[in-house]
Parts: sequence; structure tokens; C-alpha cells
Amino acid sequence: MTDLNRRDILGLAATAGLASTFFSPLTAFADEKELVIGGSIPLTGVFAFAGVAIEAGISDFVKITNEAGGVAGRKLRLAYEDTAYKVDQSVAVFNKLTTQNDIHLYYGDSTGFAKTINEELNRRGTILMAGASFGSELNNPEKYPFQFMAGPDYVEMIAILLEYIAKEQKGAKIVFVNSDTEFGRDPIEASVKRAKEMGLEVVGQIVTPPTAVDVSTEILKLRRANPDFTIFHGYVLAPLPEFLSQAKQLGLKSRFMGTFWSMDNSLWANVGAPADGFMGVMPYRYYYDTAPDAPILEKIRKLRPTYQATGYMQGFLTAMLMTEAARRTLQAGKALDAKNLKAALNTIKDFDTGGIIGVPISIPGNSVPVGRIYSYSAADKQMKPASDWISLKK
Amino acid sequence: MDWLFFAEVTLAGLGSGALLALTALAFVLIYKATRVINLAVGEILMLGGYLFFAFSAGFGLPVWAAIPLAIAGGGAVGALVERALIRPMLGETPISVFMVTVGLGSVLMGVAELVWNTDPRALPDFMGATPVFIGEAYVSRKIAVGFVVAGVVIALFLLLFRFWRGGVALRATASDQAAAYSCGINVPGVFSLAWIVACATAAGAGILVGAIGGISPTMGVFGLSALVVVIIGGLDSVLGALVGGLLIGLVEAWAGTYLGGEFKLVTTFSLLIAALMIRPYGLFGTVEIERL
Repeated sequence: MTDLNRRDILGLAATAGLASTFFSPLTAFADEKELVIGGSIPLTGVFAFAGVAIEAGISDFVKITNEAGGVAGRKLRLAYEDTAYKVDQSVAVFNKLTTQNDIHLYYGDSTGFAKTINEELNRRGTILMAGASFGSELNNPEKYPFQFMAGPDYVEMIAILLEYIAKEQKGAKIVFVNSDTEFGRDPIEASVKRAKEMGLEVVGQIVTPPTAVDVSTEILKLRRANPDFTIFHGYVLAPLPEFLSQAKQLGLKSRFMGTFWSMDNSLWANVGAPADGFMGVMPYRYYYDTAPDAPILEKIRKLRPTYQATGYMQGFLTAMLMTEAARRTLQAGKALDAKNLKAALNTIKDFDTGGIIGVPISIPGNSVPVGRIYSYSAADKQMKPASDWISLKK
Repeated sequence: MDWLFFAEVTLAGLGSGALLALTALAFVLIYKATRVINLAVGEILMLGGYLFFAFSAGFGLPVWAAIPLAIAGGGAVGALVERALIRPMLGETPISVFMVTVGLGSVLMGVAELVWNTDPRALPDFMGATPVFIGEAYVSRKIAVGFVVAGVVIALFLLLFRFWRGGVALRATASDQAAAYSCGINVPGVFSLAWIVACATAAGAGILVGAIGGISPTMGVFGLSALVVVIIGGLDSVLGALVGGLLIGLVEAWAGTYLGGEFKLVTTFSLLIAALMIRPYGLFGTVEIERL
């Protein structure tokens, strides 16, 4: 038993009353006037180059949206912390931020985190999540009902590349090169199958260890396979320049292609001549694109006069799509829970992204299966469009 | 069996093994003199790559000036670290000093992220693009250059340890510090020298590794591959670093080619386990090495 007397109890009650009177307007303000996007973002570590750009993209979207009046009367706010691209740290950040804030929208940093936190998202039923991962496993609305990705998944990215290849050269010979990581292995099996179905000949599969620096032996294998196209997946930059450089030394005729995370313009600009002709799939327009149907890019350039990396566009569009889901949910007078948010997201049809993606998009499931082939021009130091926008048919 | 292909794979393996050996040398030099395992070798290697990038691409200096400046920068970091962090730890347990170097690695990575940001970059090409052929066998030019540089540097160190007074002083200090003191050897000076030379070597290796694979704040993981080399070769053996490096390079090349890239690391670490079971002090290491 405690030894509180009547005076203590009255004192405590008065304090509690005062406290609730003092703090309740703040709580009400937070509940009614804010829409918080939480974020486990890798600002350090192996994926930091993307994390820094992603944070800038989301922050700018938040700023632009708030300047335009917010989302259904609510101000947007980004609450995030660094994860160093480590799953345990991402989970810790998630727990901390969701305890401190009323979060219904969340940005995760990796496939590992998305898979780890999925059960918790399903249990809570209050958060819609997207993130830096385009892992094909996440593109399953039944298993991952409250997640999505702002672009094609990795299998879809390679499918876009294969469609381009099939159109360019019937029966072309292809080699897949991937890093021996979850990221690298993700689309390979399905893509090999798809390539064969499309009448393309897969003449080799090369796997590089996660920390590979020297790729001389892999180049020797590539020379033997002598493909028309080499598709890389699971890399940001290294060891791609060395592949390209040695392939040119050996006079290989292969054209080299990559997927989204290895398509940043500034990364290739440093590589110089060997980068010339490198191609790949991009779900978004580049920062410098002055297409007349891309007003949002003009706005971004005014906000940030220097080049912004591809991660910036990814962060910006992800925030745009999750916010659109929240806007539709609020405007329908529904509660901001995961089920309503995801249902609202899936009503997005022929949506204008302001030009970030060059065609109107729809999100019937967990991905946006649209992309375009770009090719790097060393003379102009720019990725240039090599195809029109390609929308995959399911 | 395609013998030409086998020869090309073997040459590629020897080339990448030489790079590992050069990095392993940085571990060996410090351990040999001070009995400290410097886990920050990888990050000093990374710093060497970035310093070269800063001098050549940033300040626009010619390569012949940027390379020695980057190596000297690595040596200066080594001197600073030894004087400010390692010497005050004299007398502490090896694990404490070991942990200091782990922390140092994180700090150096953070510094690189702050100064040069987190983007991976390619170093300006200074080795040329003409392929090298030995007979009919193709060798990547960068790998060939790396092999020659690593071979010359390691041979130089072997000669210095054998004939130079400083090298002999280092060996004496490694054998018995008290006896070295009593003979008039400046033991703290030897410690400093070992750190300076080892960090300069790591910085030089960083330029070569960066020229091949590009630079990024996380490229220091390459140092961990070199740690495997020194454990197999012997923590205190320069010759062990060379032989261990070439052995690992060859095994990885053969495994990667004939078994698949996913077997490279499996094979390397299987070799490490086997080496630890058979010769826990390494192929050429001193038997009484203290292990962590």
C-alpha cells in the first residue's frame, strides 16, 4: 500500500489537471494539423550517397507542399534519423519515431528492413510504407499489403531493358552480371526465364563478390561469352567502370546496361570516356530535363540550382505518392489507417507526377511498372533518352 | 582445358593478389614493430585514395606530384595517430589498442563523408588504357601496374629489413623492447617510423585500389580482405604478406572462374580456417605471436 494522504492525492490530481490543460492543445494541434512522414534513412554507410539525396527530395516535397497549403489542411513534416543502412538500426529508428510522433506514412531504407518490419506494419495497421527498395518480393500486395514502391521492381526494371533489347536486336545474346548480395540476386532467376521466353539468348551469368574491386577474371569470362548486351544489377558504381574500361581495351562489342541505382548522372560524369554508351533503365526524368510537360522539375531547379541525384527524384516521388494517398483518404473523410491509405493509393490512375515520370501513372498493386532507357553521352556528360517511356503490361 | 584461358585467369589472380599483399604489408609493418593490429588500415587506404583525388582532381596537380603527396599525407596521418592515440595507450592491453584502431576507422570514414561527401567516385586515369599481353595472354593494364608496384615495394622492404639500420632497429624492437632500449635504440622513434611507413604504404595501396575500383568512404572493407592475408601469411612476416597475398589472389581467381563468383569468399575463408588449424601463427609468422 502507498502512504498517500488525501492532501497528496488532491495535489497530484490538481497537477495532472493542470498538465492536461497545458499539454492538450499541443497534442490536439499535432493530431489535427500535422501529417508526419517518418523515415529510416541511410545518411552514412554504403548507401549514404542515395540516403542524402532521398532526404533532400522528401524535404523539398514537404516544403513545396506546405507552401501550397499542405495536405487537406494539414502541414506535412518529415521526422527521420540515420540508419547507416543497417536493418537493426532502421528498426530502432522506426520504433523511436513512431513512439514520439503520430506517424501514418513511413520511408524505409532497404529490402531487409521492409521485410523485417512488415509483420509489425500488418499488426499496427496504421502506417503506409514505401522506401528505397525495389525488391521484387515486396511487389506482392497479399504478403506486403501496406507497402509500395515508387517505380518498377527490379524484375520489372530488367523486363523493361529486355523489351528494349528485343526491339533493338532479335535473338540478341545476353550476359547477366550481378553482385552476390540480396540486392544483386533479386531479379536474376526471373529475368533469365523472361529473356528466354522473349527469344533472347542468355549466354552467361557472372556473379561478383560483394566487396569486389578487381574484376579481371570476370572480364575474361565475359570475353568468352561475347554477348551483344551485358546487364548489370546489384551495383551503384564500382566495379562497373572497370568492366567498361577493360571491355573497351579488349575490343568487346557488348553494350552495357544497368538498373536504377547505377544510373546516376554525376557518378558517371566522373568516369569519363569509358562511360560513353552505358545504358540503363530510369523510372524518373533527370534533374536537368527541360521537357515542357515537367513543371515540377523547373520548380526543383529553382529550389536547388545544382544537380540533384536520382535518389532525390525517388524520395520526392515517393513522398508525393504517399501524400496523395493521405490526401484522398482525408478528403473521403476516412480514418488515416493503413488499409484506407493503401486503398486510396491503389485508386491512383493516370496520375500526373508533374513530369517526374514522363507518362501518367497508375498504381494498381505495389509498384509503378514504368521506365525509360537512357544512354550516357561522355561528350555531353549527360544521360540522354534512348527510348520512349515503356509501360509494362501485366 | 583451355590453357591460355587458365594462364590469363592465373595472371589476373596474381595481380589482384599483389594488391592484397601491398595492403597486408601495412598490417605487418605496424604489428612487427608495435604488436598492434591496426584495424584502421582499410580506412587509411581509403584516405590515400581520397587524398590522391583531392590533389589531382581537386587542386589539378599532375599525377607525378599528386601520388607522392597522397602517400606523404597517409604517412602524416600515421604519425599523428601514433603520437596522439597509440603512444598514450602504451602498456594497455592489446584489446584496448585494437579497439582504438576500430574507432579510428569509423572516425576516418566519417571525416571522408564530411569532406568529400558520400558519393562513390572514379579516380582520374593515370595508367593508360592500352592492354598488356604476355605472349597471347591478356592482363589488365591496371592490374599489371599494381603487380609491378607491389612487387617492387615489398622487395624494397625485405631489403630494408635485412640491411638498413632502421630496419634492423625495427626488428630488434620487435624481438625485445627492453633489450632494444638498452642498446640505445630509440624505441618510441621506431614506433613512429613503423606507423608512418605503414600508413604511407596503405595510402599508396589506396591509390592503386582506387584507380581500379573507384573510391568511396566505404572502400576500407578492402582492408579486411588483406587481414585474411596476414593471418594466413603471418602477422609479423613481410614475406608472409607477399606469399599470402598471391596465394589468396590465385585461389580467389580460380574459384571465381571455375566454381562461380559466389564461391570466391567461401573458398578464401575455408582456406583461412584450414590455415588457422594447421599453422595458427601463419605460414611465415613467429610461433609465439599473441592472438586476439
